[in-house]
Amino acid sequence: MGRGSAKPPGRPLSDAVRMDGSGPWTWSANPGQSVYNETIRKGKHGEWRRWDPRRSKVASGLLRTTGAPERLLPSPGEHVLYLGAGHGTTVSHIHDVVCHDGAPGRVVAVDLSPRCLRDLTRLSRARPGLVPVLGDARRPEGWRALLPRRATWVFQDVAQAHQASIFTSACERFLAPKGRGLLSLKVESDRGSDAGALRAKVERELAEADFALEEVINLEGFEDKHLLFVVGGPPSA
Amino acid sequence: MRLFHDWYVAVLINEDGVEVDRLRWAGGGGVHGAVERLERVAQARLTQEAAQLLERFPEASVEPVGEGELPELTPEDLTYLDRAAVRLAERGVAEAAGDLDRRLEHLHRAMEEVRQASNVRLSRLVEWLGLFLPDLDLDQDRMGTARALGDADDLGSLARQLGLQTPMHLPARSEWRSLRDHGAAAVEVQARLDRLEAALRTLAEEHLPSLSALVGPMLAARLCVGAGGRARLAKLPSSTVQVLGAEKAFFAHLKTGSPPPKHGFLFTHPWVMRSPQWVRGKVARTLAGRCSIAARLDAYEGTPMTAADVAEVETKVLAIRAAHPRPPSRKGGR
Repeated sequence: MGRGSAKPPGRPLSDAVRMDGSGPWTWSANPGQSVYNETIRKGKHGEWRRWDPRRSKVASGLLRTTGAPERLLPSPGEHVLYLGAGHGTTVSHIHDVVCHDGAPGRVVAVDLSPRCLRDLTRLSRARPGLVPVLGDARRPEGWRALLPRRATWVFQDVAQAHQASIFTSACERFLAPKGRGLLSLKVESDRGSDAGALRAKVERELAEADFALEEVINLEGFEDKHLLFVVGGPPSA
Repeated sequence: MRLFHDWYVAVLINEDGVEVDRLRWAGGGGVHGAVERLERVAQARLTQEAAQLLERFPEASVEPVGEGELPELTPEDLTYLDRAAVRLAERGVAEAAGDLDRRLEHLHRAMEEVRQASNVRLSRLVEWLGLFLPDLDLDQDRMGTARALGDADDLGSLARQLGLQTPMHLPARSEWRSLRDHGAAAVEVQARLDRLEAALRTLAEEHLPSLSALVGPMLAARLCVGAGGRARLAKLPSSTVQVLGAEKAFFAHLKTGSPPPKHGFLFTHPWVMRSPQWVRGKVARTLAGRCSIAARLDAYEGTPMTAADVAEVETKVLAIRAAHPRPPSRKGGR
């Protein structure tokens, strides 16, 4: 854990994010507190939190992407939507980014499981701007009021059947025109299809909904049988 | 005339797209007020403001929330929204305890764990004690042996009490105390297991009255937990209910073509277990069908099964047994 070191890790991706060989780091929006026992490196007026690519599909996507990694992340002050927030591991880093240096960003973190919400609610107490929502990604009517503005960044990790159609309808409804959507696709959650066929099917679905597919990142090695789809915002909204 | 509304505002817009009237929440009721409004919106009900506007203009059509028709949230609204969201989430977490599926699952898994602990403890205990008492019957009344051990003063008196030979070797003092503690603990764990089972029975009979009447509360609970909840059990085809708990054999069947399992958890039911091997599959299939019906009665709150309904199933099971008194002939088979 936190061995003090004044030198920031790796090279900068943005003010809030840096990258070294093993993965990204985020500048903590709630210094002094680790969320999941991640490595902390002290900086001058705060600290960097190591973002474990083995535990976060966004972090592994940042390492694996062939393009500029920073384009996969939102910017400080933005409103973002996170479907399938889990226990808040990745959510905490996204919150670091959008609420960097007191920026008025908001992370709306939706999950179906009360057990997960318990952790997210705890997290939200120390992190203003993190909005925990107990709700179903497939039924946005129950929580859409908590996201009053279109999100510039939508991430979905729900490991359910019909992941792709949940994602396209969420993006149509909530993603801002120049925003970016990331879909983490768990191959095994779609019964009876192999990776190649599923990938083709999802690509077709995204094309039918008029989303420009920028990249499909294979997370093999960090998260087996997972693909990360990166799309641009809805065509004209 | 169209009415657009959200938790904090209601706006009336005429045919030309001009705003006619607007009512905005002024923060009354604070966070609590925001929570109440958000709940209304989530249930697609009208807020106070929307209802008022609709009263003034009854001819207006209520529209789903669009974009651009509603004014932006003020920073104060947003603060209220964030705090209300946390309240809503906390309430949702607290409400999870009202979900009997979750409670049944914890109770059932706790019972399984304690049962396993109890068995491990007892078998260690009788082997340990049997080392000192060579003529102790290790399979008869293990609980009675544990109870006697827990109450005994020393190994010699325990042997006398159980009518056994005086041991040739005696344990050291501290060793004896540990042995005796182990006996007392085994008794204590058994008592704990009994309480868990009683609690599970009560909960299962409340949550799954029909299924409990049909196959007993313990098996009913096991099926429900195995299926991942009452609603899911009710939606499963009965062919799946038949092999719940035999997943390993079932998927081996799909992969390697080994014979499919005839029964899973249902095997523990006497109608299946006590039937001759060649009718167990038929009985399990019948029973699984009735289990599905019972689970659906429970999940969708129908009239619970009665003892008469259960007796009818039993008649059917007995008829299956009677129709197949002998194992099928192998002649002409594969």
